[in-house]
Amino acid sequence: MLIELDDIAREYVVGGETVRALAGVSVHIEKGEWIAIIGQSGSGKSTLMNVIGCLDTPTRGTYRLNGKDVSRLSDDALADIRNREIGFIFQNFQLLPRETALANVELPLVYRGVKSKERRERAIEALKKVRLENRMTHKPTELSGGQRQRVAIARALAAEPSLLLADEPTGNLDSATGEEIVRLFEELHQLGHTIVLVTHEPKLAARCPRAVRLSDGLVVGDGPGAQVAYGDARP
Amino acid sequence: MSWRIDLVEGASIAVRSLSAHRLRTVLTTVGVGIGVATLLAIIGITQGLDASFEKQLATLGSTSVYVSKQPWVQLGNWWEFRNRKNLTLAHVDAVRAQCGLCETVTPMVDDNADVAFLGNELSTVVISGASEEWPRVTGFEVSKGRFFTQTDDDNRGLVAVLGADVTDTLFQDLNPIGQTIRIGKKPFTVVGTLARKGKLLDSSQDLRVVIPFRTFTSFFAGRRSYTIGISVKNPDQLDAVEDQLVGILRRIRQTPPERPDDFAINRPEQLASTYQQLTGALYGVALGIGFITLLVGGIGIMNIMLVSVRERTREIGVRRALGARKRTIIIQFMLEAIVVSAVGGALGTVVGLGGAKLLSLVTPLAATVKPLTIVFGISFAALVGLIFGIWPAARAANLDPVEALRQE
Repeated sequence: MLIELDDIAREYVVGGETVRALAGVSVHIEKGEWIAIIGQSGSGKSTLMNVIGCLDTPTRGTYRLNGKDVSRLSDDALADIRNREIGFIFQNFQLLPRETALANVELPLVYRGVKSKERRERAIEALKKVRLENRMTHKPTELSGGQRQRVAIARALAAEPSLLLADEPTGNLDSATGEEIVRLFEELHQLGHTIVLVTHEPKLAARCPRAVRLSDGLVVGDGPGAQVAYGDARP
Repeated sequence: MSWRIDLVEGASIAVRSLSAHRLRTVLTTVGVGIGVATLLAIIGITQGLDASFEKQLATLGSTSVYVSKQPWVQLGNWWEFRNRKNLTLAHVDAVRAQCGLCETVTPMVDDNADVAFLGNELSTVVISGASEEWPRVTGFEVSKGRFFTQTDDDNRGLVAVLGADVTDTLFQDLNPIGQTIRIGKKPFTVVGTLARKGKLLDSSQDLRVVIPFRTFTSFFAGRRSYTIGISVKNPDQLDAVEDQLVGILRRIRQTPPERPDDFAINRPEQLASTYQQLTGALYGVALGIGFITLLVGGIGIMNIMLVSVRERTREIGVRRALGARKRTIIIQFMLEAIVVSAVGGALGTVVGLGGAKLLSLVTPLAATVKPLTIVFGISFAALVGLIFGIWPAARAANLDPVEALRQE
C-alpha cells in the first residue's frame, strides 16, 4: 500500500472560528493506481491534496506514505519527503520564469544533492518522456501552455517520486491541449506511475480508473471513476 | 541536503537573481559602498592625524621634562595659572643642585624680535635664551659651527645659533658662520646653525634664534617666569624624576602642604594622552556618522531584500514544494544580501581610501590606512549584509508553502 490515510481531520482557526476542512477522511491507495479526488470548491479536496503532498499536516488521524507515518514529522523531514516521494503538478504550472526548461526540471534533483552532470542527464531523460527534448533551453515564457505543463510534468518525473500529485492539471489549458495532457497521464499510468489527480471536473475524473468524491470534508463516494464522477457510487 | 550544496546552490541563485535586477543591485551596492567609504575615509584621516601628531611629539624628545608655571594643556582657571609665582633662576639652580636623576638642566625663556642680516629681515622670530645644555634637552642638533658655551653665557657673549628657517631665509647659500646679524638693534655673531626639526601642531620650531641665557636677560627686560628644561638618561625614570622635582620645587617655593603644586611638570609623552582625550570625542562623533551612513546602507539592503522576498513568494513556494528546507531558503537570501554588501564594501574601500588619499593631497590633513582597516571595512560591510539580511531571509523561509504557492 502506497498511501494509507486513516481518519484524517484538518482544522483551521480563522478569525477565532474553527473551520473543519477535513472531518475524518480514510482513503487507501495502491502503488500504480490512477485516482481522482473530486469535489466542489470548499469540499476539502485541496486540503487533502496538501496533506497527501506533505505540504500540510493533519490535526488528527494518521497518514502512512510507503509504510512510513508522515503525519507528525518536522518541517525539514517533510521537505525531504516531498523531494523524494512527491512529484507535484500544478494548475498554473509553477515554473521558475527566469530559468530554462532544463533548469526547471533539474530543480528537485538540486535539492536532492545530485551532482550537476547526472542531474542534467536525468532532466534530459525526463524531458524526453514528455517529448520536449527540443525545447530544453527555452524559458517558460517562450513555451505554450501545454508545453509548460509538460515541463512541469517532466520536473515531477525527474526525481522519480513514488507519487505524481496533480492539482487541476488541465485547468489553465484549452480542451485540445488539456486532452494532450490527459493522454500523457494515461501513458504514465501505463508505465506504472501512481497518480493522484485533484479536480472539480467530472469529465476529467471519469477518465480515471478510480475516483474519490469529497463533500464537506468527508468521503462521500469511492469507486470507478466514471461512476463516482457522475455521482452514483456509494462509499 | 548538505551545507555545501546549500551554499553552492544558494550562491549561484543569489548571483543570478542579482544580475537579473542589475539597476536595483547597483543602487543597493552603492548605498553600502557610500557607508563603507565614509567610514574608511574617517578612519584613515583620524589614523593619519594621530600618526602625524605622534611624529611631531617625538621631536620634543621622549627623555625630556619641562617645568613651567603653566601646564601645556590648561583645563581649568587660567587666571590661577597666571598668578602663580614665577619660576626664577634660583629654582633652576636648586633643581640643578638637588635633582640627582636629572642629566642636564637648562633655564629656558622665549621672546619675539626681528632678526636682520644685511638687507634681509625676518619679523617675530622666536628668541630663546638658554644655557649650553639646551640642545641635549630639546633634541636639536647643531648642523654647522658650534653651540655656544658656558663661557659665552658667563660673559654675556653676543653669539647666536640660528634655526633652520632663519638660516635659509637670511643666508640662502651663504655660509652664516662668523657673520653678524641684528636681533632687534643689537649685533650678534653667528656661531652655529641648527638642523631642521619640523613643525609642532602646525607652527615651525625652526623659526628661532638661540642666544646665551644671561645675554638674553640683559637685553630683554621685564620679570619673566622661566621654564626649566631637563633631560633624563632613561625614559623609565621619568616618573621618579617628576617626584623628585615636585619635592625640590615645593620646598624652595614654600608651597604649603595643603595646597596643590603651583607649577606644572610638562612631559611630551603625556601630551599624547591629553591629545587623545581631546580628540577622542571628536573621532567618536565622526565614527558615529560613518556608522550611521553604513546603517542607512544596511536598511537599504533590508528594504530591497523584503521587496525581493515579496516578489518571489511563489518561487519560494515552488522551491519548498520541491524539497528545499527552510535552511536552504535562508541561505539563498542571506547570500544575496551578503554578496551585495560585500561588493559594496569592496567598492567603498577603494573609494574611501582614494578619498582619504585625495584629502591628504589637497588639504593639510594626513591620511594613513593600516591594512587591517581594509579587511575591517569589507568584513564589516558583509556583517551589515548578514545582519540586515537575516530578517528578510527568515521571513522568506517561514512562509507557508501552501500560501506561497497560491500567491499570484
